Amino acid sequence: MLLIAGTVPVKDLPLTMGKVSTEKEFLIVNDYRIPCTQGTGAMIGAALAATNYLTLEAPYVLVAGDIGQGKGSREIYEYLIQRVAELSPAVLALHYCLPNMLLTKKLCEAIEKCAKRPVMIADAASMYAAKSAGMAKAFDIFTPDATEIAFLADPDATHPAYIARHLFDTDITQVPRLAAAAYRNKSAANLLLVKGAIDYIVRDGDIVATITEPDVSALEAIGGTGDTITGLVSVFAYAGLELHEAAIIAARANRMAGKFAQATPATRVRQIIDQFPAVFKEHLCQWSGVCYMEGGNYDD
Amino acid sequence: MAFFKRKQKIQFEGGGLVLFMDVQDAMKAERVLKDARYAVRLVAPPPELRKGCDLAVEINLVEQPGIERLLNQKDVAYVSIGPLKVGTSELLQIVKVTDFGRWVMVTAGNMKLTFDKDNGVIVNTSGGGCPDIPHLHAELLGKQLTEAPRPRDIGFTLCALMLDRALEESLALWKGGK
Repeated sequence: MLLIAGTVPVKDLPLTMGKVSTEKEFLIVNDYRIPCTQGTGAMIGAALAATNYLTLEAPYVLVAGDIGQGKGSREIYEYLIQRVAELSPAVLALHYCLPNMLLTKKLCEAIEKCAKRPVMIADAASMYAAKSAGMAKAFDIFTPDATEIAFLADPDATHPAYIARHLFDTDITQVPRLAAAAYRNKSAANLLLVKGAIDYIVRDGDIVATITEPDVSALEAIGGTGDTITGLVSVFAYAGLELHEAAIIAARANRMAGKFAQATPATRVRQIIDQFPAVFKEHLCQWSGVCYMEGGNYDD
Repeated sequence: MAFFKRKQKIQFEGGGLVLFMDVQDAMKAERVLKDARYAVRLVAPPPELRKGCDLAVEINLVEQPGIERLLNQKDVAYVSIGPLKVGTSELLQIVKVTDFGRWVMVTAGNMKLTFDKDNGVIVNTSGGGCPDIPHLHAELLGKQLTEAPRPRDIGFTLCALMLDRALEESLALWKGGK
């Protein structure tokens, strides 16, 4: 099971867990409609596009409505703390939430009770909470952007709004230095996928890959294009790729979808997600070495 | 006979602190915040941070903007709100501006807001990770900068505060450029 957990901006949506599908422009979970927009919705939308293409089981999602007051976030944490050992997902990807350090620690303790430890991925405020709670090493992948890697590099910050000015005032070429600092502070997951004008894949402090092509600078402005990368890397990890390979292919696919969509800063993330099937069809075999044949067979 | 201290169960770890001039204000703030379902607790501030009385309220720092708004609405006097951890930097004040030709993107902390130079319409917001951000994204998109709701008024988190900074700078650029 690939399990994606996060809040969605549907105020009255109760805590809901189920396999996701689509209906027109909406995501459907247990008959509830979720917008496929910036945040957990975009992440789920990208993940579903990838599982559909690879004919993998669709992601399970654990979502709750929350527009900032934290109730839905707490319900998600508490559900996972109680049930994650029983669910034992192969991959657990944590996303938008009101960060809660104590509940993050409890969740990491609960993960230890899984029959097999899941691949643990965190983005957005789940990553902020993991770093601030000192639990970064319990995670396999973080997917920060340029400001968020500066946050991970700042040993004292518990939110990117409070990072040191000299760390904010750096450009994307400084990522290797910031990533090294994050690893020194034990604030980084085992693998970092740093999203930006240059995407960096960093494993245990070493840069293992950079991705710069195609160069679609508008992606940075489009709300949700970081979330789609996290959705893709979650699926590629679930599909069994080595985590650094999953990260490289996710970054490439996101850029290529931006190119296919002829993205401008005014493009919506839904238009990027719509391009993933075409991107996979044209490039995934070459990038991954695992080729999907019509009829459902795989060829190494 | 040995006496054993009962291990105190930690209920909350927030990372933020509200400081007060007197104890009554701290107690009133705790009551107001608990009534609004914020997770808070009364604590003694570290000596390095103490500015008024020796009682403070620990909050989840991410909720700082919503808590500030509520305390102001309820007329609860406080000295300051900030990180509990000594050595944490000040709240980021600077912004970065990226010119995309027809569009301008303003970055404040972890948040970005992009608007159309021709008509001042917000075309995208990106970044962040707090639960009010997707809601604010939906509220802001397609609105004119001068007519958009302020994230500081309808958001609850530090991500919303950073988005408000980006909107404020965008407004200044838009008005300056007209």
